[in-house]
Amino acid sequence: MLSLGILAFRWVSLAWMAVLLALTAGELRRPVLAVATIAGLVAWTTWLTVARPDPSRPTGASRAPSAGSEPDPLPAGPSWGSPDPSWPVLTVDLALAAGLNLVAGLVMPAGSVGQRPYFAAAYPVAAAVTWGAARGVGGGVAAGLALGVSLAAGQLANGIDLAGEPPAVLLDLAGGTLNFALAGGAVGLVARLLERSADQLREATEETIRARERAARLAERESLARQIHDSVLQALALVHKRGRELAAGGPVPPAEVAGLAEMAAGQERALRSLILRDPDQDGTPAGAASLRAALEELAAAEGSLPVTVGATGALWLPAGHVEELVAAARQALDNVVEHAGASRVALFAEEDGDAVVLTVRDDGRGFTYDERRLLAEGKIGLAKSVKGRVEQLGGSMAVTSRPGAGTEVELRVPREKPA
Amino acid sequence: MTAEKIRIMVVDDHPMWRDGVRADLEASGRVEVVAEAADGGDAIERAREAMPELVLMDLNLPTVPGVEAIRRIVEESPHIKVLVLSASAEEPDVLEAVKVGASGYLLKSATAAELVDAVARVRDGEPTFSPSLAALVLGEFRRMSGSAEPGLTARETEVLRLVAKGYTYKEIADQLFLSVKTVQNHVQNILTKLQLSRRYELMRYAIRRGLDRS
Repeated sequence: MLSLGILAFRWVSLAWMAVLLALTAGELRRPVLAVATIAGLVAWTTWLTVARPDPSRPTGASRAPSAGSEPDPLPAGPSWGSPDPSWPVLTVDLALAAGLNLVAGLVMPAGSVGQRPYFAAAYPVAAAVTWGAARGVGGGVAAGLALGVSLAAGQLANGIDLAGEPPAVLLDLAGGTLNFALAGGAVGLVARLLERSADQLREATEETIRARERAARLAERESLARQIHDSVLQALALVHKRGRELAAGGPVPPAEVAGLAEMAAGQERALRSLILRDPDQDGTPAGAASLRAALEELAAAEGSLPVTVGATGALWLPAGHVEELVAAARQALDNVVEHAGASRVALFAEEDGDAVVLTVRDDGRGFTYDERRLLAEGKIGLAKSVKGRVEQLGGSMAVTSRPGAGTEVELRVPREKPA
Repeated sequence: MTAEKIRIMVVDDHPMWRDGVRADLEASGRVEVVAEAADGGDAIERAREAMPELVLMDLNLPTVPGVEAIRRIVEESPHIKVLVLSASAEEPDVLEAVKVGASGYLLKSATAAELVDAVARVRDGEPTFSPSLAALVLGEFRRMSGSAEPGLTARETEVLRLVAKGYTYKEIADQLFLSVKTVQNHVQNILTKLQLSRRYELMRYAIRRGLDRS
């Protein structure tokens, strides 16, 4: 906003200079220099307008002015949507403004500075104001004082003997210098205030977003907690009731006791994994799910075989991917339960470069894996459906098995960071 | 001939659990429970008095947390082995416990036979890695890779992955054409590197703190 205002100021000043030039061309001492100066300023201001971004433009284009120059020595500065003019740009701008004051003295009729319409009009003020905007109150005042010096130089060039002139001329010079410094300083102050409120606004916005994300995570956790509490309560009630019945006498069927124990173990694991899930944990982006947590739930739900879960970390993936992987693992697990005659199963998930690898491994009887034969025999469970799921995620399945040595099903999918 | 019984201390804040574990262990005839403790502070003190060969402990303890208690016990008496008996397969604390000196880790759902077996193996200096712990350790080394810590050799990584996939040391030995003893050595080396990595961490932390203060 501020930088746009300054640009408008420059163009209006330039226009007024052009009008003055047209009206007073006959009186000027060096008309060619005057025209060349205005042409040069038009070029400079055009470049500023084109290259300096306006705030609504994408920031990608906004670095243009400093392209090819050194990185800004003072990267921190006021920002209201456009970057700081870099030191080279500021320096050139101030030099041009000072030069303009000098040129005004050179082209205006001798002794007429201060009495005729000023050739440079208000354009030099733009430099002081730009400095204030970019470098704060100090920068604006310093630039204003420098312009005051050039104003004096311009008067000397105009043939005014500053030492010999009446005090009015000196007062006029001092007033001009003061105006430059005040304009620079005032804009510097405004820029700093704008910057501060922009910062405050940004902080407030970020805080709101964080609070909202946290609320979403808590809500998700709560709904999860409700589900688990439900199933835990059911399991407890069943253990309680059957435990009493079994204790009341009669032969105790081992299979049923084992089933109760396994169920309790499953609930214990699910509850434990819930407790361990920290809603404030870093890197828990919305839409993400932990593959490890999902595998633990899967293992907890498996009643007929002990299932161990190992993972090299929480493995946060897009929730949809976790769902598909777990569904594939569930099918592989069902397959083991039905066909493998295994005594235990291990689920192992790891990161391997840009891929996530999930292994379902059993110690069962094993077999000779031949995809075509399985398809021919209509045993398509593993060959088709697990593979299909994994391939949909851009991954692959590999089965390693030997008769008598168990089976390893390896599901490999490209790792996609949660959105 | 009566083999010397393994002298054990059991640490858990649930009396019922302690009783159950004591019964399981003593029923084997190979173990003598010489002390019990109900919290971390107690565990440190009683370990000092009773000097057990092995401490069997939960991590979730009142007063002094389990990991801190393990660190103090091992620091004071490096010959005492610690076996963690945890309710969860996934406590991040487990990794910390192993780093500060626990030799092994077992789920509370393990059977009495598994428990006695693990106790005997830890007493003999064999680390007992569960698949989930192996996976955690593997992840830890992957995170550390590239830093100055001693990394794992290709063979050690291979062994660790197989443990994580639920293979027994015997099965791993068969698959890699090694002796069971060699597999155990690999696991022991992995453990040593892990504990070493913690010392590096502490050192780096101390240096950073020192620099910040100056």
